Amino acid sequence: MPVFASCGEALVLGLASGPACLASCGPVLVPSLLAERTGFRLHARYLSVFLAARLLGYMLFAVVAWEVGMLASILPTPRLLMMGAVYVLLAGVLLWYAYSARRSCSPSCADSKLVQIGESRNRGVTGAAALGLLTGLNLCPPFVAAGIRAAQMGSLAAALLFFAAFFIGTSLWFVPFLSLGPIVRNQAVLTVARMAMVLIALYYLSMGIAMLLGKKVYGY
Amino acid sequence: MATDTRILPLAHPAPRGILWSLFLTLPILIWSLFMMFFRPGASAELLSHIASAITALFMTVLFFMMMRTRNTYRWRRIFFVSLGVLFPIGFIHNLIVMRGSMGIPIEEMIAGRTPFCFMPIPLLILPAVFTRTLVFPGSIVGASGHGIAVMVALWLALTLVMGKGWCSYACFFGGIEEGVAAIPARARIRKLDPRWRYLPWAVLLAMVLLSLAIFEPAYCMWLCPFKAVTEYVAARNMLGLVQNVIFVLLFAGLVIVLPFLTKKRTQCAWFCPFGAFQSIFNKISIFEMKIDKERCKPCLLCQNACPNLSLSKESVARGETLLSCMKCGACVDVCPRKAIVWHIKGTQIAWKPERARLMFLYSAWALAVMFGGSIIAQGIYTILHVFI
Repeated sequence: MPVFASCGEALVLGLASGPACLASCGPVLVPSLLAERTGFRLHARYLSVFLAARLLGYMLFAVVAWEVGMLASILPTPRLLMMGAVYVLLAGVLLWYAYSARRSCSPSCADSKLVQIGESRNRGVTGAAALGLLTGLNLCPPFVAAGIRAAQMGSLAAALLFFAAFFIGTSLWFVPFLSLGPIVRNQAVLTVARMAMVLIALYYLSMGIAMLLGKKVYGY
Repeated sequence: MATDTRILPLAHPAPRGILWSLFLTLPILIWSLFMMFFRPGASAELLSHIASAITALFMTVLFFMMMRTRNTYRWRRIFFVSLGVLFPIGFIHNLIVMRGSMGIPIEEMIAGRTPFCFMPIPLLILPAVFTRTLVFPGSIVGASGHGIAVMVALWLALTLVMGKGWCSYACFFGGIEEGVAAIPARARIRKLDPRWRYLPWAVLLAMVLLSLAIFEPAYCMWLCPFKAVTEYVAARNMLGLVQNVIFVLLFAGLVIVLPFLTKKRTQCAWFCPFGAFQSIFNKISIFEMKIDKERCKPCLLCQNACPNLSLSKESVARGETLLSCMKCGACVDVCPRKAIVWHIKGTQIAWKPERARLMFLYSAWALAVMFGGSIIAQGIYTILHVFI
């Protein structure tokens, strides 16, 4: 298949399945963005790091998909185990994020002891990178479809290119998340974001453990 | 300037005259009789008529007492606790008759025969926007009023009028914990961390996002405490068992134990995502509670009386309740200086508060008769049907 055509196919696949990516990344991305400080630029940077790490996750998966062929993408047992491991790791990162977010707050927070300038920047970068990488490895249906197509490519470079185009297609759907940037952060927003992260982490943890124990959850 | 923080003795308002109270109650009597005897789903049996008559009388007497005593909370609470107790009785009886069990099997879900309650409404919005699909295993029209469209229409009508008053006059779940909270003479736990007030918003955020991600109403599947007294997922595997254990633990903790210890509606104040969602509509509703700062001596009796933790020192100082106010009237009834008043947006705070109260109560009670009254009548009918 010509490179141009395969890139076009991947781009369209990414654009078409963007809402599904948005839905699967939303529970991770929205609370963690809300736990950041107010500011469009800050959020743009967070989202860039998140998406770059997600691209890295895609590329890693592209390498694996191409190396071991499409079998790894569709065999239920390794897929279940990988999903389980990713979910447990996601839960761990979210819990860490929720814990560390208590140290950062916008200057509008009521309790001045909670404000530690500089703390949240590091957490934001590493947290966004970890969450982006793990959501990049999340085996949602469109991602598996892209994995199977990438496995059918003639070379590793073609598989990587296919995933890069797929990534660009899906990433356009993440732009609206920047609208969370201007929302004023106060103690209430930060607390809600942290609590939501814990709840979502508990969900991922329970799902991850169930998957690692070999229990099928929601058709995965 | 020193602030007078003495707690003044409770000022019991002079009761209204009986004839005037009866006159004010007349519209509700007519409405109650109409709604009870012409309600959808009522059968032509004698027992059904008896249940309807008892309910109409019950709702009318409570409204009369509100008019006569000028107190709202205690009479509303009798209605609300009755609603909370009688709803599971009627509902479970129906499930047992139709299905033979409270557990809903997956086949019933696939067939779209899950009765719809209002709780998942906020969870349906994002999936509907993105995919034009309702992520609930029920039908839009449904049978005997259990369809999604009927419930959403009822919810919308009540919400536009009452805002979060829904949680005090319409919700058929909150009555159980309000009843439990009324049992002890005083609270065993008095110091409550105000940060827990944010948890319903976090549950709402998490459940809305997860519902979009997993494409099902995540709250109903995982966290609804009231599954313990309505219908639950038939536990055919470990996952179903875990879900049911969570339901029972949440119900025991948030609806029984904590309300008993704190004398608060802890599930509503600390957990319910629908309540958080409903708070937003307090911005739309024309009715609200206001505090006349000139009259208020900050004795904070209102803060202690509020069952939903919707008053704080800061909000009292600002002369308003928090966004989560359910308009139950507890603060108004307990205020010795009558500084907290029912208020219609756009009017002055001190402008005829009793008139504002009457306007709210007519709207709220009319809707309570229509919605809650039908449920109470169904519960009474079930009891009569089983025991007679």
